[in-house]
Amino acid sequence: MRRLEAVRRHAFLDALGDDAFDRVTSLAARIFGAPIATVTLVDDEWVWCKAARGLPPQPRRSRRAAGLYASAVTRDDVYVVPDAAADPRAAADPLVRGVPGVRFCAAAPIVTSDGRRLGSVNVMDTRSRQATAEQLASLRDLAALVAGEFELRLAASRTVAAERELRADAERLARTLQRTLLPPVLPQVPGLRAAAAYHPVSADEVGGDFYDLFPLDGDRWGFFLGDVCGKGAGAAALTSLVRYTLRAAAVYDPDPRAALANLDAVLQQEHAGSAAPPPYCTAVFGVLEPDGDGFTVTLAGGGHPPALIVRADGGVEAVHPEGGQLIGILRDPHFAQVSTRLDAGDALLLYTDGLTEARTETGSMLDEEGLTAYLAAVSPSGADGLLAAVRKLIDDLGGGVSDDTAVLALSVPGRPAAVPSQEPWCSMTTV
Amino acid sequence: MQHDHGLTVTLQPHSPRLQVLVVAGDLDHHTAPRLRAALDELTLASGAGLVIDLSGLTFCDSTGISLLVAAHQRAQDAGAAPALAGLDPDIANVFRIMGLDRLFSSYESREKAVAALQ
Repeated sequence: MRRLEAVRRHAFLDALGDDAFDRVTSLAARIFGAPIATVTLVDDEWVWCKAARGLPPQPRRSRRAAGLYASAVTRDDVYVVPDAAADPRAAADPLVRGVPGVRFCAAAPIVTSDGRRLGSVNVMDTRSRQATAEQLASLRDLAALVAGEFELRLAASRTVAAERELRADAERLARTLQRTLLPPVLPQVPGLRAAAAYHPVSADEVGGDFYDLFPLDGDRWGFFLGDVCGKGAGAAALTSLVRYTLRAAAVYDPDPRAALANLDAVLQQEHAGSAAPPPYCTAVFGVLEPDGDGFTVTLAGGGHPPALIVRADGGVEAVHPEGGQLIGILRDPHFAQVSTRLDAGDALLLYTDGLTEARTETGSMLDEEGLTAYLAAVSPSGADGLLAAVRKLIDDLGGGVSDDTAVLALSVPGRPAAVPSQEPWCSMTTV
Repeated sequence: MQHDHGLTVTLQPHSPRLQVLVVAGDLDHHTAPRLRAALDELTLASGAGLVIDLSGLTFCDSTGISLLVAAHQRAQDAGAAPALAGLDPDIANVFRIMGLDRLFSSYESREKAVAALQ
């Protein structure tokens, strides 16, 4: 543990850059009028030479054997060797024994405020000499400066790391919440293809969009998609309530309009007596009932943009329960209901207003008309094609999209082509 | 999204029985308290009219919508007749999708709203 910490510490000091250490050695040498100065860091095993002045290039690290540096770091105060030749411990040091033949050494330990010894600032001369009290005091100050700088930078890097950690936590929480609000996988409905996507505008802000597809009684299926106003944890909690209320409501009364009315009652109750403007939601709730080789779809809407159907022939039409109102804040709200058929090759699209309220290049809202025109031009096929077309539209709108968008697409697979397939040799495109 | 248009709320008594509240700028989560305070100070008598002039409204988020709905309900509770005036086509479209066109009496301009309520 200690060793790991030490290595990390040195990795950090590497990032400090050599300039700082070079200035320290330059100052130290000048103060002493000495030819050699170094800054060294020491851990359990190694001596790391961070800067050296007046010496041939030094190895970046060397074994921490007995020697000048190893002795200096264990001292409480400046360690002075006036004549290394006469000092048996110092005499073993390679710098004393070999090149350049150090005789004098003064070393001030670099000690952090919590008492950790990091290394030393060292001044050396090739002749035996004495140091003045003033020189030693200056050397002590230099070592304290290095320690102070080190601690400052370490604290700063710790703060940055802590903030990064906090931010990562928040993002993880947001993503976890989002996952609980959206079904991980849509169930397989016989005779139906279902696909859904969620396009968030910001990675760390939880939106209030939701959708689901689930079995009802017999062979009927329920689905919904909607948007709770607001953002953040409050909206997420409310979205959770909305989602479970809609699913539970459908168990007792799968009539789509009744499901929305029940949700309205629950939301009104939830915020009764609250002084703040109560939050509301918009939603489309639908029931699918198998009918021949397609489905009958009954949709109820509360304040939500119209669903769209891309028919097998490429035509796009709105399925709009006209006049459905916001859920959760109005007295006696009206929820409208409408039925249609989904035949082979038809695809139904439910979306939240992040899509239709997006701004186009001209600065105007995309709107239901813009979305309809786009789908009519692209003529996507099946739930997956529809989803891909919407994804491309959102990508193309780019910065024009300012709110999250949830998309749910349901399609009835097309009939196998009744037309005899073309022979390979005549399958050419005529222009 | 940052909206820095701010919000101004001005009460303009039109006649003893009709008040006009002019709301201009961005009505959102941050500026909503200003409108709320103005609404709280209003005295709404039975049979009186309240025109909320939104012709200068540049943005309206969900808090704003919530607040306008609350204002409408308060006026109705007091027996007063509330009306909106001068809605921007985009905001009018959003209101229509939310089914709020069934709730609010809405007029093209303040003059038309005043004429209707007098």
